[in-house]
Amino acid sequence: MNEPTMIKVESRPEETSSTPREWIRKNLFSNIPNTILTIVFGAFTIYAIRGVLGFVLSGERRWEAVATNMRLLMAQGYPANQFVRVWFTLGCLMALTGLSLAAWKASGRLPATKISIWIMNTGAGLALFAVLAPISAASKLGWVIAAAIFLLIGLGIWFGLRGENKRPTGSMPTVWFSFGFLAILVLSLWTVPYGHYAFVEGELIAETGRTVAMSTKLPFTVMWLILVGSYLFGVRIREYIPSGRTKAVLVGLWFLSPFILNWIVLRDPDFDYAHIASTDIPLALLFIIGGGVALYILSKPSLGEVGRILAIGLLFFAVFNWIGAFFGWYSMLQKVRISFVLLALAALIAPNFASDRKTRLRFVAGWSALIAISHWLITAVNSPSTLELQGPTYLGGFSLTLFVAVLTLLLSFPLGVLLALGRTSTMPIARVLCTGYIESIRGVPLITILFFFSNILPLFLPEGMEIAELAAIVTGYTLFSAAYLAENVRGGLQSVMREQYEASDAIGLTTSQRTGFIVLPQALRVSIPPLVGQAIGVFKETSLVAIIGAYDILRIANSVVPAQTEFLGVKREGLLLVSVIYFIVAFSMSKYSRRLEERVGLGER
Amino acid sequence: MSETSSPSYHHQKPPFYRDATVVKWLFQLGALALVIFALWFLSSQARDNLAARDISTGFDFLSIDPGINLSEGIDTRPATGGRALWVGMVNTIRLATAGILFATILGLFVGLARLSKNLVVNKLGSVFVETLRNIPLLVQILLYGAILANLGDLQFDSGWDNWVIWSNKGLSVPRVFIADGFYQWVVFMIIGAIAARWAYNRRSRLRDETGQDAYPGFASLGVLGAFAVIGWFIHPIFGWVGNIFGGIEDGISKIPEEALQAVLSILAVVLAVNWIRGFLKSRRTPGGSAHLTDDDKFRIFFAGIGAGLAILVVYVVWPGLSSWIINSSSDLFGVLEDKFGNGRTGGPFGVDRPEVVKPGKFEKYGPSGLTMSLGFAAVFFGVVLYTAAFIAEIVRGGILAVPKGQIEAANSLGMKRSAALRTVILPQALRVIMPPLGNQYLNLTKNTSLAIAVGFSDLVQVGQTVGNQTGKNLSVFAIWMLFYLACSLTISVAVNFFNVRLKIVER
Repeated sequence: MNEPTMIKVESRPEETSSTPREWIRKNLFSNIPNTILTIVFGAFTIYAIRGVLGFVLSGERRWEAVATNMRLLMAQGYPANQFVRVWFTLGCLMALTGLSLAAWKASGRLPATKISIWIMNTGAGLALFAVLAPISAASKLGWVIAAAIFLLIGLGIWFGLRGENKRPTGSMPTVWFSFGFLAILVLSLWTVPYGHYAFVEGELIAETGRTVAMSTKLPFTVMWLILVGSYLFGVRIREYIPSGRTKAVLVGLWFLSPFILNWIVLRDPDFDYAHIASTDIPLALLFIIGGGVALYILSKPSLGEVGRILAIGLLFFAVFNWIGAFFGWYSMLQKVRISFVLLALAALIAPNFASDRKTRLRFVAGWSALIAISHWLITAVNSPSTLELQGPTYLGGFSLTLFVAVLTLLLSFPLGVLLALGRTSTMPIARVLCTGYIESIRGVPLITILFFFSNILPLFLPEGMEIAELAAIVTGYTLFSAAYLAENVRGGLQSVMREQYEASDAIGLTTSQRTGFIVLPQALRVSIPPLVGQAIGVFKETSLVAIIGAYDILRIANSVVPAQTEFLGVKREGLLLVSVIYFIVAFSMSKYSRRLEERVGLGER
Repeated sequence: MSETSSPSYHHQKPPFYRDATVVKWLFQLGALALVIFALWFLSSQARDNLAARDISTGFDFLSIDPGINLSEGIDTRPATGGRALWVGMVNTIRLATAGILFATILGLFVGLARLSKNLVVNKLGSVFVETLRNIPLLVQILLYGAILANLGDLQFDSGWDNWVIWSNKGLSVPRVFIADGFYQWVVFMIIGAIAARWAYNRRSRLRDETGQDAYPGFASLGVLGAFAVIGWFIHPIFGWVGNIFGGIEDGISKIPEEALQAVLSILAVVLAVNWIRGFLKSRRTPGGSAHLTDDDKFRIFFAGIGAGLAILVVYVVWPGLSSWIINSSSDLFGVLEDKFGNGRTGGPFGVDRPEVVKPGKFEKYGPSGLTMSLGFAAVFFGVVLYTAAFIAEIVRGGILAVPKGQIEAANSLGMKRSAALRTVILPQALRVIMPPLGNQYLNLTKNTSLAIAVGFSDLVQVGQTVGNQTGKNLSVFAIWMLFYLACSLTISVAVNFFNVRLKIVER
């Protein structure tokens, strides 16, 4: 080329849209080996799909075993007359979800192109199903018609909204698309009879004509209405209340919800009101007033070192209470001991609030709320439950799985962060202790840890002290997952640059301030994607509690349902359902984590 | 040492409770004291509780009959607790080794499939990965176990004509075993390897000189294959190799003990002198003579002492050593004479097919093909498929991490896709792949502990049973911990070994 060429800086060339024919050629039949691959693996795919469909739709499959036991699988043995509590719990979570969607301005939009492609893909999938599934010709026709309807809708969107460049224009909010999808699912409960058996009054009624959907269609409709209603409500109040405050309240509610919903709503404690009036309320008031005054004084700016010394003295006292109780020197209500620990921790952070009168009063108000909530929770946990249970716990099935996973994640997070800080610290003893702990826990399988906590832990406890099986499981699982979490956080801590430490030292921050305000926020931000991965792992491995005898969804599907006389030995159906449930949750979480990874990566310099 | 004079500020020492060093150490000592206190407290509680329940701690259960039956393993009715745990360990290792092997192969293929340009292959790989890694392993194991348990009863016509048999007794495939003529065939193969090497060199020289395609790899493989096939039929002609070994055996057994003693002592002296000479040479300065430090003199001294010690051992401490060496090596050659000797006419390999003698029964447990029990198969498929999904992602990530320029450079050199993959991409990708791959191997090994869910006798299942029988749960837990830590250590040492070898060689 002789003529001088101008270097043109241009944006990425637009992908030339190819005709379907070209597209197929390029992706499937570009050369001979490629064609052979396509044919061989295409045949294999068709064979595999046929096999799976044949397995699922075979007349020998007894899916009614799953449909009938749906309540057992979800909330094992929760008393039928109290079941409204389960719905209330779900409703609270729905309301929180709706409000959070509004507060965090879920503003994603789905382009019409994507929607129409999804719908057409669904249609194609249905057509494939109709062709491959071993079903009668009449039902094949039905599925073909359904496929045609989907394809027509998809094509209608595609061509109806077609803009200039041969592609549809326009979009709709993702939130409303999801709501619509859920609405279709809920509506299907009203029309499609899922399963022909039902639980009535806690008993199995094997009677045709009664559908599982009958008992759930109304509650699920209400759930949907709560979700949408709270979203709309959240959008409305966004105009009146500053979003920062809403978000803070919502985060607090989310954090409290597992505790309150589980121990107060689901467990339904039988409060002893006389005892509450005579002991609990005065105690709480004592701590609110006494502790409030103490903290108000301790957060005085002019107090200086004395405050810290007092706080550390208080901490020693609070820890000593437990030691004294172990040796039986003097006794004290458990609640009081816990409150003293809380008070000591609050006293330690009091200097951070040493400011004007308003800040200090807000600090005291926070203390009062903490005491009120924790005392209420402790009272509720200590009160006997009013539920008449058949099984060992009121939690079971999928609710137990969720409970163990959520509680483990919540509890192992602070522990894991502490371990990571210990492992990266410059203090030799702390480092050795943390490293030894993390590595020895990571070296052994989870199941041995769970065995340890369910079989061996009772040997270590003092005389007369017992630990509920569920508590033992959650403790062991927390200690296990904290070690893994610590490694993820450590990765984040190592990515924080030296300059950050030096800069925070230069402006005179204390070690705890540096860690809390400079290092940890950056480290945690980097380790969000691996932490979500860790959360998926924790959720999946919750299934291991089935081995040590907790009635989670897996154990019910694997041993409880196959032991029922109606469904003797029907195991594969339940296990397939469990697989699908785990898959849906874990898959959507991993999709979300990939999106997060992209977002975090974008922020990188 | 220079004295620096700095302007002295009025420097007030902080009170001791604000001194960072003091606070740090106080905190650490406090934490240590707390941990020790907690451990002491818990262990004293455990001692009291165990005493109250009449359970003694310790490991004496290892030598007591636990009275349990195991579902499978090298010993299904172990006589002692230690033997039972050993059976469990062997089963775990068996499962983990097979799992690692197959998961790696499958994961590699799926990872490559996910990078394929072919749409069908690509999507198939994605579906494989996304499905299998999002379903908990335990659920998968139980599901596979349930599906296998619902296979038909073992009949004469289960499976494919006694080649592959599947039934609710497990899966059976033919087993290849080393037969009579194997060792003579190996002689053939050694000659074949030399010939193949020669063919390879010749063909590559031809390629380098003339520039035409000479296919050295194919040529050498062809030569080797030809030797293998020919050797299969005419290997008995090497029966005389056995006679050579027999001759050596006779020769060795005739060596008098004193002669070997003398040879060994001379060898020790020669080695020591050699080492000292080499050492002196390495210490030689350009000026000519060696400059020796005290340390160096000590080393020379100790080399001499070592030689003296060796002689002392040969003559005084263990005078039987030389006769032991003579006897054992003549025994070794006797065995070799037998293996390579005349009269071994069978093929080098044999195939042992699974055989059903009557419905519900294989011929024998051992040689009737290679049979996977139901529990083993469920856990095996579980860990292989689950880990393969993760390995596939690691392989894919590793290959994507190879800079695009490398692939383009390989293309522009005219390399074929397979050659580029083999010689350019994979070696570089391996560096990225190895560390997380080692992690996956570790996870797989730990995950075999889920075998307890389907009743396969792995270490955890056996330990749990033994612990419940004897009440020694705590000791069993310690053994679990030691075993899995040893596995982790072994795998990480192996992975590190490869990592070091794969590292880019830098100046």
